[in-house]
Amino acid sequence: MERELYLNPKELKRYKIGTGIGRFFTYLYVIIMAVFIVVPFLWMIFSSLKPTEEIISREITFLPRTWAWSNYSKLFTGIQSIDPYGQPYYSFKPIPFHWMFFNTIVVGFFTTAGTVVTTILAAFAFSRLNFKGRETLFTILLATMMIPGEVFVITNYMTLSRYTGWIKSANHLENYAALIFPFITSVFYTFFLRQTFKQIPNELYLAAKVDGTSDFKYLMKVMIPLSQATITTIIILSMIGTWNAYIWPSFVTNSIYTEQLLVSNGLMAGLRGASETTGPNSVLNLQLAASTMVTVPLLIIFFSFKKYILRGVSRSGIKG
Amino acid sequence: MLEYKKDGWKAALCLAPSLLLMCVFTFWPIINSFIMSFLNNYHFALNREDVYNTFMGVEKSYTYIMGGRFTGIGIQNFITLFRDKDFLMALKNTAFIVFISVPATVIIALLIAVGLNSIKAFRGFFQTIFFLPYVTNTIALGLVFNSLFHVDYGLVNKLFNLVGTSWINSGATWGRAMFVLFIYSIWDGLAFKIIVFLSGLQNIDKQYYQAAQIDATPRWRVFTRITVPLLSPMILYITITSFMGAFKVYSSVIGIFGTGRYGPVGNEKLLITIVGYVYEQFGVQGMPFGVGSAGSTVLFLIILLITLVQMQVSKKWVHY
Amino acid sequence: MEKEKEEVFETPSEGSKTEHQSVDVRLENLTKEFTDKTGKVTVAVNDFNVTIPAGKLIGLLGPSGCGKSTTLYLIAGLLKPTSGRIYFGDEDVTDIPPEKRGIGLVFQNYALYPHMTVKQNILFPLENMKMPKDEALALAQEMAELVHIGDLMERKPNQLSGGQQQRVAIARALVKKPRVLLLDEPLSNLDARLRLQTREEIRRIQRETGITTIFVTHDQEEAMSISDEIVVMNQGLKQQMDRPQAVYEEPVNMFVAKFLGNPPINIFEANLVKGRLVLKDGEVIADGFDQPDQEVFVGLRPEYLRVSRNGKFTATIDLVEHIGRDTMILCEIKGYDHLIRAIVPNDTEYEVGQTIKLDCSKLFVFNAETGERYK
Repeated sequence: MERELYLNPKELKRYKIGTGIGRFFTYLYVIIMAVFIVVPFLWMIFSSLKPTEEIISREITFLPRTWAWSNYSKLFTGIQSIDPYGQPYYSFKPIPFHWMFFNTIVVGFFTTAGTVVTTILAAFAFSRLNFKGRETLFTILLATMMIPGEVFVITNYMTLSRYTGWIKSANHLENYAALIFPFITSVFYTFFLRQTFKQIPNELYLAAKVDGTSDFKYLMKVMIPLSQATITTIIILSMIGTWNAYIWPSFVTNSIYTEQLLVSNGLMAGLRGASETTGPNSVLNLQLAASTMVTVPLLIIFFSFKKYILRGVSRSGIKG
Repeated sequence: MLEYKKDGWKAALCLAPSLLLMCVFTFWPIINSFIMSFLNNYHFALNREDVYNTFMGVEKSYTYIMGGRFTGIGIQNFITLFRDKDFLMALKNTAFIVFISVPATVIIALLIAVGLNSIKAFRGFFQTIFFLPYVTNTIALGLVFNSLFHVDYGLVNKLFNLVGTSWINSGATWGRAMFVLFIYSIWDGLAFKIIVFLSGLQNIDKQYYQAAQIDATPRWRVFTRITVPLLSPMILYITITSFMGAFKVYSSVIGIFGTGRYGPVGNEKLLITIVGYVYEQFGVQGMPFGVGSAGSTVLFLIILLITLVQMQVSKKWVHY
Repeated sequence: MEKEKEEVFETPSEGSKTEHQSVDVRLENLTKEFTDKTGKVTVAVNDFNVTIPAGKLIGLLGPSGCGKSTTLYLIAGLLKPTSGRIYFGDEDVTDIPPEKRGIGLVFQNYALYPHMTVKQNILFPLENMKMPKDEALALAQEMAELVHIGDLMERKPNQLSGGQQQRVAIARALVKKPRVLLLDEPLSNLDARLRLQTREEIRRIQRETGITTIFVTHDQEEAMSISDEIVVMNQGLKQQMDRPQAVYEEPVNMFVAKFLGNPPINIFEANLVKGRLVLKDGEVIADGFDQPDQEVFVGLRPEYLRVSRNGKFTATIDLVEHIGRDTMILCEIKGYDHLIRAIVPNDTEYEVGQTIKLDCSKLFVFNAETGERYK
């Protein structure tokens, strides 16, 4: 049996160096991975500001040599050329960012509002009310989270097109309806909020009962204020969800009606075929400028509400 | 709650909004989708006239249901499904993403989380950086990766002197396109996992580490014998949810290659995924939702199977 | 340095229980300061000097926040001192990391790895020492027998009671034959009945192994009952170190006197006038003091008071408590607001309102400002 205890300075030094090396490699690994994460962002932002000549040239430039701020205005005005017949046409159509942002905010607002209301009520029922079949029902709801999304997309498409005229409607409001209704409730957020509600001690409820408070009042005056953090997180995540939504809107909105597009769909429609453009016609920088336009609001939200988002995500993992 | 009370009607009231919506947009789709996968030759039409006009004068007899018509009940859809080489391609692609990129991402995320947990300087800064991908828009991100790997102008080719090698533009091979998808999936997937792992790590009592320190435990053994077992519930949660999510891969492919395309120009179905295959049914004449639904059902069964396998395996490896 | 290594370190022969190498622990001018986020500095351990003799069981006693756990962690090496040195025997271990000092530490919450069995927990330190498997198993079994959990080896910690978990923790600490064994509040997580049992176990184990053992507690009864010597601490400073009975009977200051003893000591003001101790009502209760005239505090343990017809204290009984073995009476003494406790034998009946005379066999006189004891 060998013991390296009670030792001399040489071994001690060796030990200390060993720890130092371990630390060094840890930092190195973390830094390399951080660079890996950051590079796409930086590439996106800086390349969006490069003039076309730099993009197509062979050399790598990190920061743009010339700052082509006009790339961003080109996003809005488009690029016009003259076709062989002397007629002007758009070789790059303007992307309706203002509509995209507006629509997304409106849809997001209503979806989130609806979600918050239904989720609060449902979470309250599952956490504080007694009724037969409560746990069974909840388990069934949880199980639906395992179902792949296209199951819902297909049937909801069918349902809405058969019973309403909202699918691919030219009417802006009807389009909103189609975008909003299927998403006014969410099992995931109900689960999340129920967790938070459960953590409010039962004694508060009993004390309120003794004072003659009705359940509903208890919900409004006690549970909701105490769960503010979670509700805020839900609101933020829901808004971000709408911002990033793509699949359902792409089926429900007719892309001809460009004023109806949401953020992701607008991007997709506007940049069709962009990566195939070559030479002086290359719009790669515009492609990245468009991505930046869409990403920057998200980054702003992220940095402002970092705490809530981080907490919400890590909380959802703890129970898991 | 008060144990003796029966809140039946109150709960019904609270749950009504959620449940009503869910009946229409969640439960019904599940049932409908399941049924449709067994309706042979099920085709959907937008309105009655279309149904009448499209299928008038064809010999087979049809039954009309739910806005579409079908020829009989059976497993014809599944047979068509597995005979379709596009679906088999989709299976292969999806399998690759799930079984290779998910474990890779989980391991990398775990190492990053452990690394972050052990360093003191700049930890908050690194945390923010690693979380950035969580708030990115899938489509915008796809566009960024598209440009990063652009054949002539992308950063990757310029950096490694590979200009002319096509990753995502026309001429790209399956291997190279898949590689781009891997990098995308890993980049996108790290954020959530790191946050959950970090919060799990921070919940481990420091005393375990102190006890191990006193016993002169080398770092790697601390990791394998203490950290990982104590973190195993989190690891299980992450693995299960990541697998589930990875099976649904779709938006990322669309983001990289463009609407309706799962591959470079000239080979648009190269990286088609199961979900992509299902959605493709929307574009086919007559909307053969039967086959698409069959695809969804198959996907659901696969997810269910893999999840059950994981839960079984977890009994031995996960410690609570 | 090599020479020291040979002197101090001796490979124990196989299977022998008693050949733990034990050393004395010497703390010299040990100071530990904590600076919190606002820049405020708290001195947890203040110029602490103590020598803990080899092979003895020493209790580190004090109220919460007095720095005793901090001191323990400094000895362990989990905290680095702000200044001062720590010696194990002749070896300066101040800069040596904990795993190289040869210590065993039993945490307050035991820190048993919940996912490993008892056997695996005990074996864990041995794995790090690269001991051959069968030797390690034999040693682990021996340790388990020593702490009387030999038949629980295959259980997981959550299947054990608190007392059993603690014994596992002790076994794990001892299995690498440390020079010094440290225990952080070993009895505070146990219920009252178990405490009695467990503290005797600790005493027995220490006697059998002969390791220098230091434990930390805030319960004076615990410390007094099993320690060879106790060190009383307050606010980072050493108050007194001696055998338990000595500290009890001859406290060096008012803090020590107040901290030890249950029911607590009676403290009241009096005056030293011309060498005589005078109560507020004028009674002279002692004389022969050298100190100048001043106000002082008098400490009187309840058991030092006796009912006597010639007693110097005139007391009116306020409350009578029968506590099984004895009777405790609370009295008012003329001239004082607060009540005095006395413990009296059961043979006499006392009534509330009765006036009696009390005599004391021993009292302590303390300086009113510093608390230091006179005579």
